[in-house]
Amino acid sequence: MAFLEIDGLKKRFGNVDILKGIDVELEKGGFLVLVGPSGCGKSTLLNTIAGLEQITEGEIRVDGRAINDLHPSKRDIAMVFQSYALYPNMTVAGNISFGMEMRGVPADERQKAIDKVAKVLQIGHLLQRKPSQLSGGQRQRVAMGRALVRDPKLFLFDEPLSNLDAKLRVDMRIEIKRLHATTGTTIVYVTHDQIEAMTLATKIAVMRDGEVQQFGTPAEIYNNPTNLFVADFMGSPAMNLIPATIATSGNALSVVLQREAREPITLPMANAPAGLSAFQGKPIIFGVRPEALTDPEGAERNASNIATADLHIEVVEPAGSDTFAVTNLGGKGVVARLRADANIQPGTNTPLAFNLTKAVFFDPATENRIR
Amino acid sequence: MSAIATPARQTASRQNSGGLSTKTINRIVIYGLLALFALFYLMPLFVMLVTSFKTMDEIQNGNMLALPKAPTFDPWLKAWGETCVGLTCAGIKGYFWNSIKMVVPAVLISTMLGALNGYVLTKWRFRGATLVFGLMLFACFIPFQSVLLPMATILGSLGRFGVSLQNSVGTSFGLGNPTVNLVFVHVVYGIGFTTLFFRNYYEAFPNELIKAAQVDGASFFQIFRRIMLPNSMPIFVVTVIYQFTNIWNDFLFASAYAGTGDAMPMTVALNNVVNTSTGVVEYNVNMAAAMIAALPTLIVYVVAGRYFVRGLMAGAVKG
Repeated sequence: MAFLEIDGLKKRFGNVDILKGIDVELEKGGFLVLVGPSGCGKSTLLNTIAGLEQITEGEIRVDGRAINDLHPSKRDIAMVFQSYALYPNMTVAGNISFGMEMRGVPADERQKAIDKVAKVLQIGHLLQRKPSQLSGGQRQRVAMGRALVRDPKLFLFDEPLSNLDAKLRVDMRIEIKRLHATTGTTIVYVTHDQIEAMTLATKIAVMRDGEVQQFGTPAEIYNNPTNLFVADFMGSPAMNLIPATIATSGNALSVVLQREAREPITLPMANAPAGLSAFQGKPIIFGVRPEALTDPEGAERNASNIATADLHIEVVEPAGSDTFAVTNLGGKGVVARLRADANIQPGTNTPLAFNLTKAVFFDPATENRIR
Repeated sequence: MSAIATPARQTASRQNSGGLSTKTINRIVIYGLLALFALFYLMPLFVMLVTSFKTMDEIQNGNMLALPKAPTFDPWLKAWGETCVGLTCAGIKGYFWNSIKMVVPAVLISTMLGALNGYVLTKWRFRGATLVFGLMLFACFIPFQSVLLPMATILGSLGRFGVSLQNSVGTSFGLGNPTVNLVFVHVVYGIGFTTLFFRNYYEAFPNELIKAAQVDGASFFQIFRRIMLPNSMPIFVVTVIYQFTNIWNDFLFASAYAGTGDAMPMTVALNNVVNTSTGVVEYNVNMAAAMIAALPTLIVYVVAGRYFVRGLMAGAVKG
């Protein structure tokens, strides 16, 4: 039995379905990230776990106990808000201990708990300041301190890093991950940033329009997306999703990709998924991540199925750690990820290697994965 | 082309005006007018002040605008302790305290109720909250005069209820007492305004703070007392100034519901001082009494004025 279980959760505002039956579970000490574009219902889902919004149907259980009818304060949860929601009239210490004060914890115990948390988060020198005297990163720490001090069963984070600048965001991301590793807490985390999702999560739920599109480990989500939306949403630069057709050469299937002003490329698929044979002569979407399309020398050595093709390079973007090359296949811009020092010139025809073991296929009609 | 032409034209116009630019002239006109208006408004206050420090002889023989030759506090003392209000000649001090006793509870009660209403209407939205707010807003547009008679009927009923309470329980709980009546009237009449102030202020108050407090386990009133009120200082001051000035200066309700007797507020008493016709009209005493009557509102403005401006701006610009 999982620690956090959400069963068939539905949420309706009037006759608008915000959440259309969510089933998610998380083991104790796990880190669940709810990710998706704005308006997908991820924050609403978090609020229902917190008890700040009522649910229409379904059940939420923590540690085997149904909590969906309990008041937020009775659920043994702590929450970190996007705006941090620090009480402006109280000092940092007051903010951190407010929850304990409301629960009638004696003053000396509160002080001990404050000191402990301040030490973990290194905010000891800030305890007597007001929130308005803190920087963004410090406020973030205090907000986390307010959650940590309660030692709850479940931590909820609502886009906690979205108000920080890029560098601080990376630092705090690492800090949250370290905190999770050292304290072993169970966390549910909402973000729209897929990198945060990939780096922090033990489990990711990709959401769209109030439904979980895919639920799994970061590796599963990244390597085995169940549909076009997940494939497109996760990963940066995004996966190349190229319109293609399936042809037969001998008794093997092959993928045919249109090139501009030249004959199409045919990539033989030695290990094509079983479902693909039904699509002979039909259009499909061929998905290949930028790192699976690279210069032949940089291609993964132990990949079993590599095909090389001459491609016309339109744009080259040296990004420092990598070089990205943009070409055109099937009428769409396609990004290839090359070594930083790859010798590649825009306007030339260059051989690039497709790592076909990592290729995925989608049915353009249903947008689902062809397996 | 035009970018080159414009500076040239500006230089030309500056030379034409012969040293005194149009900007300076504008300034002179604006400040001149402002000074004139200020003078116009301050003149009565000046006359009141100087007259209140003069002896009757000096008033009768001298210039109204002249400074007192031998300033004396006697008119002030007389106004405070000896002057006749109607038939009793014990000064206005009793009536001053009457007003204080009426204003302080009325202001505090109406402000607290307004804050509570604003809190509920923004943070605990219920079905029909907007309609309720609209109706409360409507209360701001009801003219005093139209309330006079219905309110008199209600106060009469309350008074009779107070008498029967007095007979059965032994205390009337203040029902029927003119000061309590006035507090009641001003609270009822003020709630529309105070609710409007606080609702608009709390509308911009971040909801996440309320959510955080809920997760922290704070109750409805704990959130109000520990989170909302401590962060409402600017609007609190605005509301207090507004209510204090209105209630202190009110004459209509005061004269209608406590126009005679010992519970008469300051405004009615001042009117009676001026209208008391025994012998010579003591202008100096009248002026001193009027100054005393105006003093509390002046003090409230001076003490809390900077918050007043800040509070009025608070909702306008975010951050």
